[in-house]
Amino acid sequence: MFQENEDDCKFAACTYFAKNHPGEMCGSNGLPLTPSSITILGRAQRLLTIEHANLCTYLDVIRGKHERIIVVAEVIGKSLKECKSKFSYEEVTNIAKQVACGLKFLHDQDITHRTLSDDNILIDNDGRVKLFNYGLYYMTDRGKEVSFPLGLPRYLSPETILNGGGPAADVWSFGIILLELCIGKLWNNLKPGPILRRILTLVHANNPAERIAREHDCFEQYKQVPENLRNVIEKCLKIYPSDRATFTELVEDLSQMDSKQLVEVKRPRGLMGCKLQYLYHWWQLAGGDIQAELKKNYLVKNSPPILSMPIAILLDGCTIGGKSGALFDRRLAKYSLDLLKSRLSHVPPHDYYPLMHERRKEYDAVTLPKIIRERDTEYQFYRLLWFQRLLHGYPYTAPYIRAEAEVDIPPLVRGDVWAALLGVVGDIEEQYERIDKETPTPTDRQIDVDIPRCHQYCWLLCGSAGHRTLKRLLKAWLLTNPQYVYWQGLDSLTAPFLYLNFCNEARAFACLSAFVPKFLHKFFLKDNSAVIKEYLAKFWQMTAFHEPELATHLHEINFVPELFAIPWFLTMFSHVFPLHKIVHLWDALLVEGPALPLFMGVGILRQLRDTLLSSGFNECILLFSDLPEIDIGECVKESIEMCRSSPRSISYRRFTNEAQTKDPMDIVEIPMETLFTEISPRINLSDFFSLICQDKCCVIDIRSNLLYEKSCIDGSINVPYSGVHLGQRELRALGLHPQRVIQEAIKLKKNVVVAAVEEETAQLFTDYLVKCGVPRVCILHGGISALLTNVPSLFTVPPKRNGHK
Amino acid sequence: MTAEISQNITKTFKFSYPTCTNEDLLFKLEVPVDIPHAGSTRELVQRVINMFHIPVYLEEELNEKLAQFVAEETKNFHNERDMKLLNQLKNSEINVEGIVKSWEKLFKDNVMEFAEQKGTSDEEVFAAAYHKLVHSPALETILQVENSYAKTVMNTLKNRDEDIKKLTQMQTEEMEEKVRLLNTTTTEEEINELAAQQFEQQALVAGRWGSQLDALRQTQRAQHRAWLMNTLEEYQSTSALNTPSNSPLATFSPEAVIVPSPAAPTGERLEESFTIHLGSQLKQTHNIRIVAMDLLDLCSVEQVDNPTESSRRLQTSLSLYSSELAGVVLLTESPPRRPAPPTTLLLDAAARSTEHHFADVEHQLRDISERVQEPVERRNKQRVKEQAEGAPGGGGAPGGGGGGRFRSNTKRNLQTGDIFITRHSNLAEVHVVFHLIVDDSSLRSGDITSRHPAILGLRNILKAACSNDITSISIPLLLRHEMSEEMTAAWCARRAELVLKCVKGFMLEAAGWGGAELRTLHFALPPRAAPALFAQLATLTPNIFRISNPVKCKPKA
Repeated sequence: MFQENEDDCKFAACTYFAKNHPGEMCGSNGLPLTPSSITILGRAQRLLTIEHANLCTYLDVIRGKHERIIVVAEVIGKSLKECKSKFSYEEVTNIAKQVACGLKFLHDQDITHRTLSDDNILIDNDGRVKLFNYGLYYMTDRGKEVSFPLGLPRYLSPETILNGGGPAADVWSFGIILLELCIGKLWNNLKPGPILRRILTLVHANNPAERIAREHDCFEQYKQVPENLRNVIEKCLKIYPSDRATFTELVEDLSQMDSKQLVEVKRPRGLMGCKLQYLYHWWQLAGGDIQAELKKNYLVKNSPPILSMPIAILLDGCTIGGKSGALFDRRLAKYSLDLLKSRLSHVPPHDYYPLMHERRKEYDAVTLPKIIRERDTEYQFYRLLWFQRLLHGYPYTAPYIRAEAEVDIPPLVRGDVWAALLGVVGDIEEQYERIDKETPTPTDRQIDVDIPRCHQYCWLLCGSAGHRTLKRLLKAWLLTNPQYVYWQGLDSLTAPFLYLNFCNEARAFACLSAFVPKFLHKFFLKDNSAVIKEYLAKFWQMTAFHEPELATHLHEINFVPELFAIPWFLTMFSHVFPLHKIVHLWDALLVEGPALPLFMGVGILRQLRDTLLSSGFNECILLFSDLPEIDIGECVKESIEMCRSSPRSISYRRFTNEAQTKDPMDIVEIPMETLFTEISPRINLSDFFSLICQDKCCVIDIRSNLLYEKSCIDGSINVPYSGVHLGQRELRALGLHPQRVIQEAIKLKKNVVVAAVEEETAQLFTDYLVKCGVPRVCILHGGISALLTNVPSLFTVPPKRNGHK
Repeated sequence: MTAEISQNITKTFKFSYPTCTNEDLLFKLEVPVDIPHAGSTRELVQRVINMFHIPVYLEEELNEKLAQFVAEETKNFHNERDMKLLNQLKNSEINVEGIVKSWEKLFKDNVMEFAEQKGTSDEEVFAAAYHKLVHSPALETILQVENSYAKTVMNTLKNRDEDIKKLTQMQTEEMEEKVRLLNTTTTEEEINELAAQQFEQQALVAGRWGSQLDALRQTQRAQHRAWLMNTLEEYQSTSALNTPSNSPLATFSPEAVIVPSPAAPTGERLEESFTIHLGSQLKQTHNIRIVAMDLLDLCSVEQVDNPTESSRRLQTSLSLYSSELAGVVLLTESPPRRPAPPTTLLLDAAARSTEHHFADVEHQLRDISERVQEPVERRNKQRVKEQAEGAPGGGGAPGGGGGGRFRSNTKRNLQTGDIFITRHSNLAEVHVVFHLIVDDSSLRSGDITSRHPAILGLRNILKAACSNDITSISIPLLLRHEMSEEMTAAWCARRAELVLKCVKGFMLEAAGWGGAELRTLHFALPPRAAPALFAQLATLTPNIFRISNPVKCKPKA
């Protein structure tokens, strides 16, 4: 279907070094200057999103050691420089049209190419033309972030040589390229100096194109060029930029002249039909190594560092001696996809087009930890294709996406999937556009202080592009949520969305706007103390529910969640973990819903369990001041397990944006004061009922045995509260039968529901059970009386047991 | 690129629309817009609409007009600037030659295509050869050869010392004899004459030995290089090589190679290691070791035949041309021109064997003192000027600690807080030595701050280490090489805390520099530090750094 030689290489890399800041300079904010490579990385992100038929797609920008930048982009065919045969005028016109189209698109995006030359215009066998690495000038902030000059001397426009030059400089370069295509290479074998001098002398010429042709003794040849093409060249090669044609005009002119029809190439099927970004991603997973090829081509040279050691450093940081800057090498390293092709060679063709309602294949990899699945070529291959399908159908496929996201989310499309999980729809760009992100507000100062401290290990977020966008997002959010104020931590909360949607500010904003009401309703009120107190109290109850021993210990040393857990929940853990862990945490969060964070808190405590149990108050404070490494995969797994196995009502909070229920079966709301005193959570009647039906609970009736014998819940045991010695922390003290029943319940992981008439006795008794180390203890909300009113069918008269007195 | 001429200018966008009641009565809107405009024009339109309460039905029109306006003005902005430039050029108001020259230089210095073709330097060729060979089966032979060379040098040194000792003894006896006979058979003049004679003799002997050693080193170096290059050729041609056949070992007596002397008792060192985590969210792991030792022990190779010594050397040779170098910080009071201890001790250590890879230390020091002169003089002049001006920043300027004592003859010398760097291939455990110039009297005093030149110097050292692939570095924890009486326990604790905290800060900072990772840091206490003091300082570390706790695998319950 395609020529071997050409299609072997789908992408290429080039590399260069960013400028080093001389000495020790600080920015205006007193913080150290951002390294140039970081700035380049931030600026280049925008280029990664550009797609156009005549532009090579950028695939990746990598920051290497010692300020090295590696740019990976699509390639096709070969460059004009490598094309030895001469093109016909018809072909030249066609090439010119395609180049002009590409450049017009760039200029419409406010991107100046500035480095247009014969070696970055690529053409394939079908005559398709694409511009390669057109963003060098843009990503280096007009060349400011590198020490080498951009472009090749013979394509520089006169005003560029004089250190001016705007987008119109590209028109000049374009004109030179065309002229070269017509009359051959210009100023061959001349050094940069003489070439530049000649270009500058052209300002005195009336018709620079003719003058150049004469200089090269090609005037006759030039005259033979069709007049319309010559006109185009002359329109470009005007000395004054204002006289030059724009690409909009050029595209129009050239389209009229262009008679050549490009052969329609059928979109390749199978692997080669996949999105280039995916191919690159899979290729990397399959073991593709960008740096290795660069090394092989001597584009990355490793001179031993000891040979370039400086000889002295002055106090002000001025370094004497040492390495001299590496030279900028314009060559490329091309990569073949053979590695990936052979890795995926056994994949049957129909697997490339998964069908939505087809039964999904099971992959063995699903059982492996997420981190490993994310590195598995074949697994990611299937997942990505599948998700691509599903995302294509969003929002109609939302339930499918949710179901698949429960398994895992391919890192490459995580931003899209999160937006889908959060239900982001509509014209978010326009909505975002309408928000004023520029006008200064009183919170700006605090935001400016916090942003340079927010996830700064991340190269995207620590550059100026990241800082600027984060600030805009925060301001926009505050403006659209006037009921809220800026609490420190909002920056950390925004960071993951920015990180995943770096070039899609509007979507990052839409995600944030959807996330907060769902997970952090009312957390950002000016007075959020009640909300946070309730959350922490609930968290403490969940801890007692799942980790009674740990909870008892922490209660005893008086180590309360206010001391450590506020940043956990206020930022949904984004302040405590690095981004690569947050994304896994939030993957689960977005699927499972707002109850999960409570259990994640418990999951973290569980991982630290042994340390905590042996620590006193001071050690605990120290431990949490700088959280030790947490195995996030394990934590997520356990918290989901806890969350799913817990009755929904026990994690009920009043401060959510869910509708209030009036049904007495569903109510569990209690006054805040009561909540703060209760160690175990309450379960509502409907959850209780379903637990009973599934035989998943052990009911302890703590009324007096007289009441119990009159009528009791079917299957419950009676432990009269009056007979319990709260001081004794042993189940044995309850008597043989209750002890057996409770131990059996613990073994079967049943919930232990305490039913009483008076709230107070229920509280004290559950407290007692927790201290005895009984997990999954909760209080029946409303007690026996409420149950009797609403579900009288559960009641029965206990059988008189033989031998029991 | 050279200076950018692009400065933003402000243009006023004008827009008018009729009022609802009267078609002829117009609302006029004027908005100043920065050209070139950095943000999106559509956003600007929204702000304008909100601010001036402009009816929303004008939104589309405003969007279009403003975008057009900005595009037009941006084009004009570029074109006008360029036109001015071109006109200047036409009228020869521009220094064309200067501009072309600077472009020429830029291209020549920075772009491969236009650069003068430079071949690989001898140094790099040798480096590549050596690196390849030490990572081949030839390694052992190489080390043996180097050991034998070192041994020869050491023997020569021993002979020299004995010779000089003998001479000195003889001279002393002779002198004593003379003095005894003073006023009987000898006169003062005769004694003076003898003294002069003896001095001359000493110089002569020392000179003779010196040149002999020099010659020996040079021969060894040349031989070593030639042999290595040959071996490499052979290695490449046969591609499988077990032991180099033409080893110059043949010229050494066999027992010189084999006899392993019993390991010399080095004495129990006090040391404690920690694995620490740095960073609030993303954590990096580093190793930290507190050890009571003389930092010069890292440099000197005492006995070549000792197996522990040779394994130390082995590690050093293997990593010499890698990107995992080891460095040490030595504090000195003297500039490279006039070495004093501990630099001289380092010189002695380095002299014990031939430096096969780099220039002799003496050469390096001489070279450094010559090459730093000009930049240092410039800097010092600037400093003096700033001080003379009584600049308010003078007190707070870095170097305030040593800055007050300028004498005219020091103006070309490195000052406190400056660093000079030597590199070595023949030291025991380090490749790079950072000589940090300090003012010992100010370091003796207890109260130094994080702005002290020595601390700032440490920062520069860590930064240099980071950008030059030094991944393991040893630092004097108390910023002193020896214990002295003012160093009480409290003093030491205070100093250690300061240094550790500052280094922690620098390491956090280093994470953003994008260089090599500082994997291992050794903090050395003076060797005579008391065990109690050591214990006290060792417990300080976990308080300052976060000790990583090992991940525990728990069996599933």
